[in-house]
Amino acid sequence: MTRREMLALCRNGFGGVALMGLLGSAPFGRRLRADPPAPLHPRAPHRVPKARSVIFLYMDGGVSQVDSFDPKPRLAREHGEDPHLKFAVDATQFNSIGKILKSPWDFRRYGECGMEVSDLFPHIGSCADDLAVIRSMVADFPEHTNANYFLHTGHGLQGRPSMGSWITYGLGSDNQDLPGYVVLDGGLIPPGGLDNFNSGFLPASYQGSIFRAGDVPLANIDPLEPTTELQQRKLNLINQTDETLLGRLGQAGQIESAIANYELASRMQTSVPELTNLATESAATRRLYGMDSDDTYTRGYGAQCLLARRLVERGVRFVELTCPRVQADRWDQHSRLIDGHTRNAHAVDQPIAGLLQDLKARGMFEDTLVVWAGEFGRTPFAQGTDGRDHNPSAFSIWLAGAGIRGGTTYGATDEYGYRAVENVTTIHDLHATMLHLLGMEHERLTYRFSGRDIRLTDVGGRVIDAILT
Amino acid sequence: MACKVRLLLCCAVTVSVLAGCGTAPGAEDLPEVVDFNFHIRPILSNSCFVCHGPDVSTREADLRLDDRSYATARRKGGARAIVPGNPRRSLLIQRISAKVVDQRMPPATTNKVLTPREVALLRRWVRQGAPYKEHWAFIAPTMPEVPEGAGAIDYFVEDRLARAGLSPAPEAAPEALLRRASYVLTGLPPEPELVQTFLEDPGPATYERIVDTLLASPHFGERWARHWMDLVRYAESKGHEFDFTVQGAWRYRDYLIRAFNADVPYDRFLKEHLAGDLLPSRRTHAELGYDESPVATAYFTFGEGKHSPVDTRIDEAERIDNIIDVTTKTFQGLTVACARCHDHKFDPIPTTDYYSLYGIVESARFTPRPLLTARYRVRADSVAEEFLSLRQQLGDQWRRVATRTPVVVASATTTPRPSVAWHWADSTGEALMLGDFRMGSYDGWYAEGPAFEGGPHAFAPVYDGERVDRIAAGVVSSRARLPGVPGALRSPGFTIDHDSIMVMAAGRKAVIRIVLNSFQLIRAPIHGGLDREISTSELTTYVFDVAMWKGTKAYVELLAGTYDKQQYVTEQHAFRLADSSYFEVAAVVAYDGQRPTLAISPTGEAAPLADAVTRWQRGSAGPVEVRAINDALRQGRLPRLARGAAALNQIRLGEPPFYIGMTDGDTVRSGVFFRGNAKMEEETPVPHRFFTTLDPHLLPFTESASGRLDLARAMASADNPLTARVMVNRLWHHTFGRGIVATVDNFGAQGALPTHPELLDYLALRFVEQGWSVKRLLKEMVLSRTFRRVTRMPDGVADVDPQNLLLSHYPIRRLEAEAIRDGILAVSQRLNRTMYGEPVPVHLTEFMKGRGRPQASGPLDGEARRSVYIAVRRNFLAPMMLAFDKPIPFSTFGNRNSSNVPAQSLTLLNDPFVAGEAEAWGQALVEMPHPTIEARIEHIFLRAMSRAPTHEEVEHGRNYLKSSARESGIPAGEILRAPSLWAAYCHAVFNLKEFIYLI
Repeated sequence: MTRREMLALCRNGFGGVALMGLLGSAPFGRRLRADPPAPLHPRAPHRVPKARSVIFLYMDGGVSQVDSFDPKPRLAREHGEDPHLKFAVDATQFNSIGKILKSPWDFRRYGECGMEVSDLFPHIGSCADDLAVIRSMVADFPEHTNANYFLHTGHGLQGRPSMGSWITYGLGSDNQDLPGYVVLDGGLIPPGGLDNFNSGFLPASYQGSIFRAGDVPLANIDPLEPTTELQQRKLNLINQTDETLLGRLGQAGQIESAIANYELASRMQTSVPELTNLATESAATRRLYGMDSDDTYTRGYGAQCLLARRLVERGVRFVELTCPRVQADRWDQHSRLIDGHTRNAHAVDQPIAGLLQDLKARGMFEDTLVVWAGEFGRTPFAQGTDGRDHNPSAFSIWLAGAGIRGGTTYGATDEYGYRAVENVTTIHDLHATMLHLLGMEHERLTYRFSGRDIRLTDVGGRVIDAILT
Repeated sequence: MACKVRLLLCCAVTVSVLAGCGTAPGAEDLPEVVDFNFHIRPILSNSCFVCHGPDVSTREADLRLDDRSYATARRKGGARAIVPGNPRRSLLIQRISAKVVDQRMPPATTNKVLTPREVALLRRWVRQGAPYKEHWAFIAPTMPEVPEGAGAIDYFVEDRLARAGLSPAPEAAPEALLRRASYVLTGLPPEPELVQTFLEDPGPATYERIVDTLLASPHFGERWARHWMDLVRYAESKGHEFDFTVQGAWRYRDYLIRAFNADVPYDRFLKEHLAGDLLPSRRTHAELGYDESPVATAYFTFGEGKHSPVDTRIDEAERIDNIIDVTTKTFQGLTVACARCHDHKFDPIPTTDYYSLYGIVESARFTPRPLLTARYRVRADSVAEEFLSLRQQLGDQWRRVATRTPVVVASATTTPRPSVAWHWADSTGEALMLGDFRMGSYDGWYAEGPAFEGGPHAFAPVYDGERVDRIAAGVVSSRARLPGVPGALRSPGFTIDHDSIMVMAAGRKAVIRIVLNSFQLIRAPIHGGLDREISTSELTTYVFDVAMWKGTKAYVELLAGTYDKQQYVTEQHAFRLADSSYFEVAAVVAYDGQRPTLAISPTGEAAPLADAVTRWQRGSAGPVEVRAINDALRQGRLPRLARGAAALNQIRLGEPPFYIGMTDGDTVRSGVFFRGNAKMEEETPVPHRFFTTLDPHLLPFTESASGRLDLARAMASADNPLTARVMVNRLWHHTFGRGIVATVDNFGAQGALPTHPELLDYLALRFVEQGWSVKRLLKEMVLSRTFRRVTRMPDGVADVDPQNLLLSHYPIRRLEAEAIRDGILAVSQRLNRTMYGEPVPVHLTEFMKGRGRPQASGPLDGEARRSVYIAVRRNFLAPMMLAFDKPIPFSTFGNRNSSNVPAQSLTLLNDPFVAGEAEAWGQALVEMPHPTIEARIEHIFLRAMSRAPTHEEVEHGRNYLKSSARESGIPAGEILRAPSLWAAYCHAVFNLKEFIYLI
């Protein structure tokens, strides 16, 4: 059925068409003739995928690996000693290199796998058998901005497409009423700004859409007109006039696409509020995510995690969560490590564990990939007396869900947790693995810009087989 | 010969266009004569060059196919990859058509497969002798023949259409044509009066007159400046963590607007970009009289700017890489940045070309440049004159006194002068004098700015009220005449190999900076110790601990004026000059251990006073003579009265504004970085010179220390085969929606081939012939029949040329983000046509967060100014602009995306800006005396679409208004007076596709 035929069938014009979209008939926006398919139209991956969607839990600022997933008893033994006497110390951002600093948190073993997790994350620890922790991550940059761009786009400078953009470019999305790539702004936009979520040289269709907590989750989603009827009438007028234009022009694929685009926008006005209405969730579910916590940041992040599940449930391809703005800045504790890490951890620990459990309970865990990562780690020695500086030479991340072998610990750092020494893993490797799980070969997902076929993994990347089922 | 080549190119393109229609290629589709550039190079470049191309680092099997002598050479075992004339014996043909998968090229691992047509083309080409040709873009254009009386553009376009068996579409209606011309040339819809004029007499003469009006409109410059800004990644902040301001970036934007409006010849414009500070002749601002030419060099500074990089060498390499990338794409359509880590994989650009440019950029230095108005200069000159005459009077007076003394002195010029010696103590003996200004010379340092014009002006009198206090001893001073005069003094580059650097200086509101690897954003946490404000009236030793920067390339810089260090405000790190700013510097020394002591006054024999005074007056005095004069002053042997000094010292020239531009330092030649790694620089420096392929003789640049001036001349040369082609192609792209070469920033082997090669050559040569005039060439384009056609696709075209490469009709184009926003403002009659000036702060929505967020949001309507004047803060780009594909400013973007996303529809439907403009328009409408609803709808259409509405459109509008009125309880008779109804209607009009598309 062509668009025109469909319109003729509906008679009641725009509203009818939009309504049909809501009722779940075939999505709109199919093109006449030579036009390419809609940008977010689902596309077949290179091979059978394990994961359908990704939830990326971005830990902004750099979680300390030696205080979370990479216990180092030697730090306790040598606490207070001069690191220069122990190992070669790289220049750091602030170059205020203090003494070796033991972790203020105890580690305990969790699950059948006996994975060691610090007391910062008791809830996540309880999910240990579902996690694959990589202790040997390295980043290319010791500054937030470059490291953030690198983590998000595989390149340290501004302007490359974000991984969510690459993935929706490669696969489209399973829901045509919502954007394929959504960023849930928990309160903190990372250094480097919104360009961390941008589509770079890819078309704007693949830009991350920023959803905020609150009444208006997405920019301009709230209809201008006080009633649906009023807007509908205006949309009808627009549509009538556009249709006469189309009649005058004959073949005009672009104009047809632009009209179809209004239909999508119109559907989003309905689907987004429905999506963000968490009141429909049961009290038990809300509790699971920590939405009854005394900590306002836990409640907020819990709502974001729940929203992430609802997005994935609706077929959205890539969801990224940014961190809440707790009263101690991001995970970037150049000083007051205990206070800052405690607050940040408390905000995210229960919601994340709740998300993992909820995904499992709903049978979504098998085809949803959850990734927990920051842009780099922190130094095993102090900055000043009670902080830790940036450390790109070692950090820990974890993956869970689709295709991930739970209870795995992969790679290792030296005895201080300062440098990755075994199975050193790069951001490109992480990206290659994510694409692999989504059914794509990272070397084949390319876009020609500047005369080059550019990849998310640039010229690197290797799938980390050891953490896969 | 040239004629034959042309014919060849034409038939080549016919075939490639026809091949696009999807029929299976058989031998009958192959061209009679296979052309290397149009048929073969694209195949080799796409499928073979990565392993068998110019780059040796990834070359396989020691085979290169980009060069005929290699490709046809006998290989080990005797076979040859290409045996000209004999495809069967050519390994290349054997391998690409091998039956066995393991044998077949390209290998399966590359994911590349040659189509049967490509294999057939290669085979025929080898049979025809495998002729190679230089890449088309590197061959100088030749003027093609155009039949007498024919418009060249239409001749070439229609000739191509005819050969493809197509007829062009008819001419568009005058309304559509006018709207098109107006948006293309000025980015704004035509005024309704202009529409009326044209409708009354839609003849070619009227059209030409209207085109002239549009070209002469000040809005022309705004439109084309914005196009250009996409190329130079224009931004007013540096992005990265805190989004620091690029000082005075907007001066460059205004420079562009003026330059396009004044139709500055493009070769001149190009030279100003690369070396505006070095050109022997300067252009000045028409009213204010300041130097325009150097403002263009601000484009060097628009790259991302890192806050606190741990390694400034790597930071510098990234910065320079970005400059090389932008410069070569913008002016030459070459992706030279691809040759950073290895020889270019597709184009004949070796890494040495990249590092030649690298050295050129590395030799240039960033500098705060004042904008000195003509008035400022006149005043400064007259003050200087007066100081000079005061000095003259003093000298005369002193000579009279000094020669009255009994000792008769022989002619000052014949007397042997006492030698100068200084007391000097250094504990290690390793101290290094970086700059010794005690002799009153610059000692090889680079002095810049009006403070030092005609300088060094050493040994100037220091006045105290109406008296001479002393002669300034042994310093270079920026206030030889007045404080508050812009001046900079910079050392040659050196490598830090001492623990400390001491600077003996005095001054006020001035700064000493140790600049590492040209890194400018000097501030805590890492680099906080590398700059110091000077705030002492007596010479004082300022010490810098540079122990942790040993081995780092650096220069020392003294500036009259300071950088603002306030944190988290929009104008952070701005350079300012106070009217009290000045510095004096005696010496700069690098040392280890204990600080050396250094005398300012020389030791040894005193100079005879009369001799000293004579020499001083002639400007040839040295420290010994000055010491004699100062001693005499102190002892009362010379009079101190200096009438008029107090008044002169009261004069203040005012604080000029600054922008950051470029200046020259010393010549730095860079070695090639192994794999692009700045930490692995090879030892052999690459001379400054032009691209290998454009200057095979590799003549070294000698005209300027940095080579920028030479580079500018090489690029702006009429003999450069790329420069004019690249620019005319950009003009064509913006006029017709698609370049003759579609990849407007890449004319290399990976770029697209020209659809109309002869037309491109014609335009390029015409451009140069007409004095590189942008306006004249645009006029020719816009007056062409090709531009004037309807957008409706003629019958038969869909099958042959679905992408409209042959321009049988004018392409439907969505307007750019700026044109949509500006159009809304123009149509609602709210457009504020104020030109130039500081950017209007960007409106911040709740969604725009993050570090460096401006403290205050700009107004929702951007003061109703054109979009080109809205602040471009890298980390806070306006969402409406982004939604409509305004590029993120990181590299050259000659060809914007034209995407279709819900955010666009949601913006037009629900954004408060769009709604607000509709409301304002609705309000204005009800105050107009339209007799009927129909008349008002007509008025609205005339403004928004530059045409009258159809009967049907009026009908739809009336029905809409009436039913809305009913719904809101507004009586039918009151509709014309109900602003809310008209606001809603106008809002719908903004949402019409015709409003945001050029139809």
